[in-house]
Amino acid sequence: MKRLILVVLFMTVLSLIVPAKTTITLWHAMSGANLTALEAIVKDFNASQSEVEVVPVFTGTYAETLTKAIAAFRNNTHPHIVQVYEVGLQTMLDSGAIVPVFELAEPGFDWGDIVVPILNYYSVDGKLYSMPFNSSTAILYYNKDIFQKAGLDPNKPPTTFDEVFEYGKKIVESKAALGGIAFGWPAWVFEQMHALHAQFYANNENGRKAKASEVYFNKDFGVKVFSEWIRWAQSGVLVYGGREYNANNAFLAGQVAMLIQSTSSVGSIESKASFKVGTTFLPRIPGYPKGNSVIGGATLWVMKGKSKEEYKAVWEFLKFVAKPEVSQKWHKSTGYFPTSNSALKGLLDEGWFSVRPNHLTAFLQILSGINRPESQGVRLGNFVAIRDVVDSAFEKALQYKGPDIEKTAKAILDDAAKQCNQILKDYISLYGK
Amino acid sequence: MNTKFPNRFMPYFLLLPSITVILIFFLIPTIRSIYQSFFRVSPFGDRRIFVGFGNFSRLFTSSAYVNSLVRTLIFAGSVVVIGLVFCVIVAALLNQRLRGMSIYRTFFIWTYAISPAIAGTVWALMFNPATGPVVYLIRLLTARTMNWMNDSNLALAIVIIAAVWKMMGYNVIFYLAGLQTVPDELLEAASIDGANGIKRFFKVTLPLLSPTTFFLLIMNMLYAFFEVFGLIDIMTKGGPGNATEILVYKLYRDGFIAIDIGFASAQSVVLFVFVTILTILQFKYTQQKVFYG
Repeated sequence: MKRLILVVLFMTVLSLIVPAKTTITLWHAMSGANLTALEAIVKDFNASQSEVEVVPVFTGTYAETLTKAIAAFRNNTHPHIVQVYEVGLQTMLDSGAIVPVFELAEPGFDWGDIVVPILNYYSVDGKLYSMPFNSSTAILYYNKDIFQKAGLDPNKPPTTFDEVFEYGKKIVESKAALGGIAFGWPAWVFEQMHALHAQFYANNENGRKAKASEVYFNKDFGVKVFSEWIRWAQSGVLVYGGREYNANNAFLAGQVAMLIQSTSSVGSIESKASFKVGTTFLPRIPGYPKGNSVIGGATLWVMKGKSKEEYKAVWEFLKFVAKPEVSQKWHKSTGYFPTSNSALKGLLDEGWFSVRPNHLTAFLQILSGINRPESQGVRLGNFVAIRDVVDSAFEKALQYKGPDIEKTAKAILDDAAKQCNQILKDYISLYGK
Repeated sequence: MNTKFPNRFMPYFLLLPSITVILIFFLIPTIRSIYQSFFRVSPFGDRRIFVGFGNFSRLFTSSAYVNSLVRTLIFAGSVVVIGLVFCVIVAALLNQRLRGMSIYRTFFIWTYAISPAIAGTVWALMFNPATGPVVYLIRLLTARTMNWMNDSNLALAIVIIAAVWKMMGYNVIFYLAGLQTVPDELLEAASIDGANGIKRFFKVTLPLLSPTTFFLLIMNMLYAFFEVFGLIDIMTKGGPGNATEILVYKLYRDGFIAIDIGFASAQSVVLFVFVTILTILQFKYTQQKVFYG
């Protein structure tokens, strides 16, 4: 008995001397080079202080991470922080399962330093709901060696749809490469095209004024884009490259000369490519008003139901992530945007962009575009399901071999729109307008 | 053989573990899915609306679901027929006396030991449009490029081949065992009566294998309906354009990606009823033709 008391006493004293660390779990979807970069950030944070220990857990793809977080919330085993991609925005806002970061933040925190398009994307009524972390946008990558082989100027990448088609045909006909161009995340590229040409993707200002109840992508503009893509595919210029990052392999293997992909692939493409990589802005269709490319990637959402002390720890970590030096390091190793203006300035000052100009392309694109409601980013209920429908529509369109291109594009998009409108209707029936 | 238990409750007690397992893993989830299929539930489960048979009526009016049903029937039919025909031939060939036969047998059987994820990755890599060796060989031989990522029928065909390949080991083992129980006297008698090898196979061996075939028919059908999930998830994710989205994969997408639990539950109820009916029909009609020796 005496000994037991002694042990208990000893433990109590020990716990007083060594302050217990607050453990914060972070669920994320970063794999490959991005995983290493994320773990480095967490390690630096844990080493920088002694009160908080952040534990990162890889939980699969973006869609899987979101699903797991939802399932965990229903069982009350959810993490403190979860990384959710832009597609999950409306779902998270309506979930009743989150603590908005503007409520979490200490008073006087300078939100103004965050890059404007990113801030806009994740804000509701001027208030930021989740912490910007890995933001990106789509750009055009091209293989300079193939351009040269096909007799094209490697320093003059295409800027319009017609040029992409023309160059692509030259590349295919001269056998410089098997295909002209491939896309990563095709449904996202389709959204990008709408934003870039100042076209709404859904009603109620892309679902930002009130919940969207109808998609607009089967209107004239969407049909035009799809028709162009079918035309490209029919002459072998556009090659299908999967729904996420598979197209990168075709590009790296020199099978396609151009690639539309997230800027987050800049790091890995530059390090793996055995050819000169060029990057440029997304191609446009002349005759439409100018908009801007739209933000993709993910942010960090804080989940409900934890103690006050834990939230303090969460905020410490989020503040650390937002630091310019952390943001710069993250950008350098992945290609994601540095999220703050001061981080950007620092990179500029140290000359990073003159050494790695491809890391600048996405930035220039998004800062030179015109920010208007159409290009602020789409917010849809159950967007995950809608992406899926549009991806399928894209795959169906690319298989069409006949001559009625416009009619087929319209029919495929109408069918997809019907499914999406049903999804939106169901969502509104649950959450109201 | 009329043993009596010392205690009236003893038999129930002994059955308890399996009943518990069935209750927890089969009955309760089944009842819950039937219950949930009458609701529309929000992703986080915080809101629900009673919709009656709304989820079911939507299923059968949805072109996507009907398309998925057709795809499933093509897929399952092909996997079962091709699988059984091919494997009975392989098993017959493996049932000879040759030097090193056990090595050949192992080669044919070990596909079953490979996990669906690895099998899927191997096949996806072989047919990768950009870097796949099979695609490369076909291009060398025929100068044609092959991209299953934008060819619905090709994608379905490759997934069927992969699914058959994955199940091959299982089928071959059972057929081999079946073949080894075929009595030599019968085959000898048949050859004395003047039947050649092919005739002996069709008239003697195959009828004697019918119990094995019947068993494998049901196992392969269940496999084609439910267990190919991993393979499809790794290889095509149901694409291109829903071409390989069979029922169980659509259920997964609606339930776990779109998080529409009510709609997915309705699908699982329909799938359950559908497979039950198929199995009953098979028992009823095929069993009459099965010859148990």
